Amino acid sequence: MNRLLLVIVFLIVAGAVLLSTLGSDAMQKMQSGFLGIVAPFVKTGSAVQRQIGEMGSGLKNLDELEAEYNRLTTENKELRTENQLLREIEAENNKLRQALDYRKRSVFKLLPARVISRDASTWWTTVKINRGFEDGVEADEPVLTDVGLVGKTTTVAKNESIVLLITDETCKVAAKVEGSREQGILSGVRVQQSDTPGLLQMDFLSKQANLQPGQKIYSAGVSNGVFPSGIPIGVVKSFQVRALDGRAIVEPAVDTSMVEDVFVIVGAK
Amino acid sequence: MRDVLGGISFAILIFLALIVQEFIPPVHMLLGAHVLLVPALFCLAAIAYSAWTMLSLAVFTGFIVDLMNLHIVGGRVEIALGWSIVYFVLLGLLCHGFQPAFLRGGWWIHTCLAVGGTSLYLALQYVMICFRREGVVLNDMVFWRIIGPGLIAAAVAPLVYLAWESLRHLIPGEYPRGDRFGGRA
Repeated sequence: MNRLLLVIVFLIVAGAVLLSTLGSDAMQKMQSGFLGIVAPFVKTGSAVQRQIGEMGSGLKNLDELEAEYNRLTTENKELRTENQLLREIEAENNKLRQALDYRKRSVFKLLPARVISRDASTWWTTVKINRGFEDGVEADEPVLTDVGLVGKTTTVAKNESIVLLITDETCKVAAKVEGSREQGILSGVRVQQSDTPGLLQMDFLSKQANLQPGQKIYSAGVSNGVFPSGIPIGVVKSFQVRALDGRAIVEPAVDTSMVEDVFVIVGAK
Repeated sequence: MRDVLGGISFAILIFLALIVQEFIPPVHMLLGAHVLLVPALFCLAAIAYSAWTMLSLAVFTGFIVDLMNLHIVGGRVEIALGWSIVYFVLLGLLCHGFQPAFLRGGWWIHTCLAVGGTSLYLALQYVMICFRREGVVLNDMVFWRIIGPGLIAAAVAPLVYLAWESLRHLIPGEYPRGDRFGGRA
């Protein structure tokens, strides 16, 4: 019995090693199939999470209303509640109008998508969106908002995709600095320090670049690259000279930890 | 029969736990440590059921965990598919070795194994990432992201055990010793 068990263990380990030698395409196809299986569960989980979040924000509004009530005692409570509700709708309306306008202005064909899961992994900064190959999404397509670059798609399943965020170390973007000829490679930091979350680093700048805080960074758009030229990425926070090159610390334009609605560039118009 | 039904139940639970843990936000108090439910569930199944059930679950768990976490960028695989299978087989063998002590009432053994199993899994993942990216980054964030989930597992594992202890009688079949796990043989 024990000998048989050992043989089985050996066979399992050998099988696992064999599995690890598969090509990245085959692995990505398997992952895509698996994501297709778990998609209904993930969507349900996302909807539940959203409802809980809305409940939480509803409670926050009650707090805000209470504070307002203390300041403005002459105002009718019912009217104030109604006013608050209308303001929420107006804010949502403005946000959607802005997004729609950006979509119209863009020279690219933009596919709107919603983040359904975030912060799922300890070591990789990715999110899942509710669009897949059935919607025309493919691997290595840029994802952005009206504010700036968010990341790029990696594994694409039928109705959902994994988006690698620009704050991940493995997401490399060729970038240029506004008002200068400086270009470099921008990437995230492996494990972000708690006091500086979500910052990016731009390497391979010249040592004489002397970038100033506040200078804007855009994607450079190299040939055969993933990201088209001119997408805002962030602003320079600091610049440091290293032994062989200069490095800029960049604050991303988009707060990737909060982003909810994004666009995927699925081609030119 | 008991092992087969127990194994299937745990396979379903592990699958659901894998999805649920996607939606549990990182604990900011522990510098972004994630809540991992899968290792605690797997350790319990590995310590409570037969070696065959443990091996089947190790293959299943390792495979789905790898598929969920697979990180491929530009055709480059960060951690290859299959390594978690090897990890869960080895962890399962270790857990299974403690079965006699567990049956004699050592419920805390499961908690210790879940804590160690969770943190070791993350530590090995990080070592592989560092090896792949050619450079080691060590700071308090890395430390807490490895140790933190283990500490969380120390709180989760007894709850998992208690839930299983109350529900396991629903699965038909006799347990080898004692009326209850935790009771003297």
